[in-house]
Amino acid sequence: MSKYGMVIDLDRCNGCNACVIACKVEHNTANGIHFTKILEREVGTYPNANRQFVPVLCNHCEDAPCVEVCPTKASYSREKDGIVLVDWDKCIGCGACVLACPYDQRFQVKDESTGFLGSLVDFIKADTKRAPSGVIAKCDFCYHRVDEGRAPACVETCPTDARMFGLVDEALRTETDKEFPALDRVVSRNNAFSLLPDKNTRPNVYYIG
Amino acid sequence: MPDEAKPLSKTDDAWVPSVCMGCYNCCGIRIHRINGKVVDIEGDPESPNSRGHICAKGKARFLDLYDPKRLLKPMKRGNPEKGLGVDPQWTEITWDEALDTITARLTKVREEDPRKLVIAHFDMPGYGISKAFGAAFGTPNLHWNRADYCGAAPHVANLLLNGSFNGELDFERSNYMVLWGTQLGAIVETIPLHAANKMAEARARGAKLVVIDPFCTNAAAKADEWVPILPGTDGALALAMLNVMINELGQYDRVFLKSSTNATYLIGEDGRYLRHLVSGKPLVLDADGEAKPFDDPAVSDPVLEGNCTVDGRPGKPAFECLKEHLAKFTPEDASKITTVPVETIRRITAEFCEAASIGATVDIDGHQLPLRPAGIHFKRGSGAHKGGTHTSVSIHLLNLMVGNLDVPGGQRGVNPVGPFWAPEADEDGMLVPAQHIAKYNKPYPARDPKTPETLDLNELFPTALFTRGMFAWGIREPERFGIPYEAEVLLHCRTNLMMNSHNPETMAATLAKIPFQVSFATFVDETTEFADIVLPDSHDYERWDQFPVNDPYAFITPGPGEWYWLMRQPAVEPPGEAKPWTNVYLEIAERLGLLEELYTIGNDSWGLSEKHKLDPTVGASVKEIALRQAKSLLGDDFTFDRIQETACMITREKTIEEAYPRPFLTARAPIYMEHLIDAGEHVRAVTEKLGLEWDFAPYTPLLNYFPCHAHSHSHEAPDFDLFVVNFKIPFITFSVTVENLWINEIARGNPYTFNVMINRITAEKKGLRDGDRIRIESHFADGEGTVKVTELIHPDCIGIPGTLGHWARAYNVSKYQGTSFNNFLPAPSVEFIDTLSGQTDSCARVRVTKIG
Repeated sequence: MSKYGMVIDLDRCNGCNACVIACKVEHNTANGIHFTKILEREVGTYPNANRQFVPVLCNHCEDAPCVEVCPTKASYSREKDGIVLVDWDKCIGCGACVLACPYDQRFQVKDESTGFLGSLVDFIKADTKRAPSGVIAKCDFCYHRVDEGRAPACVETCPTDARMFGLVDEALRTETDKEFPALDRVVSRNNAFSLLPDKNTRPNVYYIG
Repeated sequence: MPDEAKPLSKTDDAWVPSVCMGCYNCCGIRIHRINGKVVDIEGDPESPNSRGHICAKGKARFLDLYDPKRLLKPMKRGNPEKGLGVDPQWTEITWDEALDTITARLTKVREEDPRKLVIAHFDMPGYGISKAFGAAFGTPNLHWNRADYCGAAPHVANLLLNGSFNGELDFERSNYMVLWGTQLGAIVETIPLHAANKMAEARARGAKLVVIDPFCTNAAAKADEWVPILPGTDGALALAMLNVMINELGQYDRVFLKSSTNATYLIGEDGRYLRHLVSGKPLVLDADGEAKPFDDPAVSDPVLEGNCTVDGRPGKPAFECLKEHLAKFTPEDASKITTVPVETIRRITAEFCEAASIGATVDIDGHQLPLRPAGIHFKRGSGAHKGGTHTSVSIHLLNLMVGNLDVPGGQRGVNPVGPFWAPEADEDGMLVPAQHIAKYNKPYPARDPKTPETLDLNELFPTALFTRGMFAWGIREPERFGIPYEAEVLLHCRTNLMMNSHNPETMAATLAKIPFQVSFATFVDETTEFADIVLPDSHDYERWDQFPVNDPYAFITPGPGEWYWLMRQPAVEPPGEAKPWTNVYLEIAERLGLLEELYTIGNDSWGLSEKHKLDPTVGASVKEIALRQAKSLLGDDFTFDRIQETACMITREKTIEEAYPRPFLTARAPIYMEHLIDAGEHVRAVTEKLGLEWDFAPYTPLLNYFPCHAHSHSHEAPDFDLFVVNFKIPFITFSVTVENLWINEIARGNPYTFNVMINRITAEKKGLRDGDRIRIESHFADGEGTVKVTELIHPDCIGIPGTLGHWARAYNVSKYQGTSFNNFLPAPSVEFIDTLSGQTDSCARVRVTKIG
């Protein structure tokens, strides 16, 4: 059962990329890999042109095709809250999940170097673990923070509060969740949508605005 | 004087509260240190300017601490030749050798003429130390940096009309926000985290945002309306809007004009105020037909319009002069100049006036205040041009006319009134900004110009705030300005003049002309390549600074809220032999025998109360100075225990007079810059004596549009058919963050960073496609770039962002990535500067051809 979700307000996102760096720092991600990104596209033609910023990350789907397809059960939805994770001890890096994810949100770690070109600068914080070479890595909803009742790094960092992390299922709320908002009403009141609904993955990341 | 560049605590897992220096904005942060190593940065939840948030740059910067190219030891130059691309041939030396060499040179220079020393840095918390050092040494050549690049002209408009250094908008009450050549609220301007959040809130509330800019920036992306404009023509648009506002719509705040501006002051035939024959005070024409001094209690309702004769002298109110003058700036003409459609000019003006709701009031804590929920914010994009002052003031007059200055809902200055400063009125009743806010030179009242003694030539610009862009001119050609000495020593740190200045070839020639350059650096950038001695500097996470770090003239959130003061403290020690540059200044002063004098000057300029002044014969480290400053400002009971949880000290809520100062001020803002008549004549006398060709056109009290050279000379080279225009990116600060690998990863993935933006229609005409390499030629330099075809730019422009195109030999992340905008700009000369403010012109035409 999915307990957590994220609502991203596209009206508030100004494309500043603070979330992308926050994620990078939090996970000490390998060079070239970002568990969250801001996709950008141009709309309209000059002078009636504009640009859209769409932050993307793992959707932590209720029916996650990446979990389904994993031959070693390394990819799994956490029992207690449905956060989709990869057990790197079990992952053989076959890449089946990378192909299965319709959102392109799984990344093969080919070289775990971080920080500086060709070097392995160790910024691992006590509560995060660097994905080793050879495995598949992805957004983990900052479960290490969420377990302590803290919002994911991207949410906390965002200067415009464009990201909201909270509960999609109020019935599952526990004591550690007390700081998190209920998202079900945010979703229903704002005509929220999710990406690629035709893939029937039941994503838990919603967009408004 | 040795300093403790040591953190207060060294527990293995600590959050150290401090202040970010990723740009100039001083956001409150918490630095996470584990086992002696910084592993994370967060916004300080207690600090009103960050509230727990942080931007991409601030988050990524700790990576720079561990950059393998960080300098750990002093170095000296082996190659006497200096120039673009010349290998300096560094060898490592000891601190003793470095300081001996520096001291010997400075001793010689001080004996000959101390003014030969130039101090260059853009490290504002260090200004107190370097300023006292400069004064003790005897040089006026302080603080060469490019603060002028953005704001030489726009700051002047804020100082004249708000009495503030910077401007902002009342996001909480505004219903109509216009950003004009700037990106407030998109993490690239002042108080960015606050502004971004409040801007998002305002838009969510339904406030309309209009962005006027040649490029559809991040700010424009969030706008309800993006108005593309031809670069450098903003003044023409503003004057047409003023004309529509006053002569077509008749929408202006008469009450405000009468009480808070010089609109009623009578102007004589010579353009000067008609003055009372006895008191000498400017006269107004009262409703009873009698001319009275402006501050005569008998004045009941002075007129704004009409003509009169006073003691045989014909005159009319300044407003009448302006109104008649504006009639020639038609929207139709402006449309041809700016490319903004006539309909848009009229509609936006009408929308702005309507949203401003002239006459409305609001009750705040029992005070009945004007409510003007509309405002225009402007900065470099519109102001950094030939006629920068007139353009910035023209834009700002749109604010003034609706009476929105520093009132709820409107445009606001950044803290013109504070706990220990306030603007004053001069004898003419006109607003004089507080020294604490104006900081440098006050644009009003005009100073007496004279033959320059300072290499920034500020003596020739009596109405300017600062003229730092002129250093390049003064250092190259001192004899031309009658300066009786040449720059001999440059003490430089934290400002990359080679990259952030107009025209790098000129800057290279300027730097090469200075025989001895000392650079404090964390790694060798383009400017440090010109150094004779390089000293390893600490990162700002490795140093103490004077207190408060966030000077209120720019770095405390304006409007209602709290007065808050931030203290920087180190989280880790500097690596190798690196030291904070401010400490080294104290060491050098000690070697020169100047320390006592430096501290004596500091006692008067560092905000120390009597009780906490230093004994100049004993002195103090930067840390101790900060402690004394904090005790002076916050009270005797301040100890460093106060900065264990947060580095932000909140003293109290702002009063209503501080939050919305205008209704409480008697000082008046100018709609008619009468002081420019005399100022111009005085400058003329000096420049004629020097035999200097000078530009007096902007020394007129009524506003005009002055086309940049790129516009006025366009017929001379029709094949230079595009303007080059610059914009900023939210994840890059100047040239500071570009070597950060995490930032670089984002930059490489973003098509609007390392490319040259060209409109689709223009690209089709020129046969250009995405990824094509192009040669770009301006009249001043050539360069290359990679094409990004886009809908997001004016078809008559190419867009080049940020400060990119680095070439420093030591760079290994961003080297040769992107194109340098500044490369294509003219060096300062009389044709390419605003002689009122010293703003350098950023307009250049280019010719673009495909390579290969």
